[in-house]
Amino acid sequence: MTASGLAELLVTTCSSVALAVAPLALLFLVFQVLFLRLPVDAVLRILTGTVLAAAGLGLFLAGVGIAFLPFGRLVGEAIAALPPGLVVAAGLILGFVTTWSEPAVRILADQVEEASGGSLPGRWVLWAVCIGVAVSVAVGLVRIGHDVPLTWLLVPGYALVLGSLWFGEDAFVAIAIDAGGVATGPLANSFLLALALGAASVAGGDPLLQGLGLVALIALAPVLSVMALGLILRGRSITGRVRT
Amino acid sequence: MSPPDVRASGAGRGTLWGILALLRSTLPEVLRAIAPLVGAVCVLQATVVHAPLGQFLQFLVGAALVAAGLVLLFAGIGHGVLPMGRFIGAELPRKGSPWLILGVAGAMGFVTTLAEPDVLILAAQVEAASDAGPGRLALIGLIAAGVALFTAAALARVVLGVGLRPMLAVALAAMIGLSLVAPARWVPIAFDAGSVTTGVLTAPVLLALSLGTSAVLAGRAGSLDGFGLLGLASAGPVVVVLLVGWLR
Repeated sequence: MTASGLAELLVTTCSSVALAVAPLALLFLVFQVLFLRLPVDAVLRILTGTVLAAAGLGLFLAGVGIAFLPFGRLVGEAIAALPPGLVVAAGLILGFVTTWSEPAVRILADQVEEASGGSLPGRWVLWAVCIGVAVSVAVGLVRIGHDVPLTWLLVPGYALVLGSLWFGEDAFVAIAIDAGGVATGPLANSFLLALALGAASVAGGDPLLQGLGLVALIALAPVLSVMALGLILRGRSITGRVRT
Repeated sequence: MSPPDVRASGAGRGTLWGILALLRSTLPEVLRAIAPLVGAVCVLQATVVHAPLGQFLQFLVGAALVAAGLVLLFAGIGHGVLPMGRFIGAELPRKGSPWLILGVAGAMGFVTTLAEPDVLILAAQVEAASDAGPGRLALIGLIAAGVALFTAAALARVVLGVGLRPMLAVALAAMIGLSLVAPARWVPIAFDAGSVTTGVLTAPVLLALSLGTSAVLAGRAGSLDGFGLLGLASAGPVVVVLLVGWLR
């Protein structure tokens, strides 16, 4: 990375951050004038926090731009060139590792344990989600190499979610649906997105058709995992009654 | 990953102290989250990637920037953005009708999605990958509109007393149906868009806002627990992006 490249990255990052955060700050000020009428120190606190968040967003985007995106792409290109068995292994490991370290997944595990009245230990949920995501990443990487349309995987997946709506407990349905976003934090999302695009470029496919879709598969995994656990719980008719 | 709870931040002890306490409490969580990924990359670098040393060092420097950025981002969300959601959630019920609350929640969903890190990255990557997809700003706008519409719809469901299941069934059926009729190139974009939304910024703000307004919306306190707000909000971009791809 040259100095001019770094300067250009800084400029584009700063402008996109300003564009991203300004609407939030403006909307808050409009609400403040219209109905909030918060004391000055509360307004200052909110604006300080917003500026801090904007600075953090800028550093994050710059770091992702010089590290996760180019290197994720390299890793994707290297993985796509491996024999199929190793592609699956790499996908399983990457999926498991990134999900295991995701704090939101642990929060989800606690929620499920609570909703089940303690009969579904949080540890099961953690494992179920991590295994689900690991399989998703492996399937997603194999899909890229074999030009499988994303709808072949997503339509049956979401049809399964749709079907299990009628069988799961109310609390499980709500938790499972909300769980879609928990497996992939900003780290995994940016890294795996670049990785998939890199793998697709080696496979020679259309980047929009083959390179995208990995993150979508990962979002499906926790939904199905929690739904499945809910069905298992119901099947075993454990008496931890679920309130809604 | 989620920002720390502002109540545990020591924010009552002065602004600077509060911010420092938040930074300190966020750091371990960020490091725990980033370490396994960096570790996996190091293993891959040594085994299959073999990138030039300069590029690998650039990755490590960038990863440090990412960690610092996340710490600041979470501290900023905990210090200012999350309280914003709480204040609005606390004040709105006194001033407005349920329908005003829906509008405000939708607007908050829109503006927080505009600043959601994952959304910005996805939109930039889509634009860089191919000219055939939507442009960066157009995609960000569509995603934010989807979150806004479905957030408002999720709250309207509570006002009107519609069950979660029928609403989810309609959203899922729309996702499945549209993915079969929309142009194939828009399907992966749409579903990726759905999974990058309701992230570190949008999710806590929408939850804080809805907790404050739940009493007014449902007519009784606390009945919004686990009501699928985030799941519905992230179905929004899928439906909107597929719809636009199909109709244009």
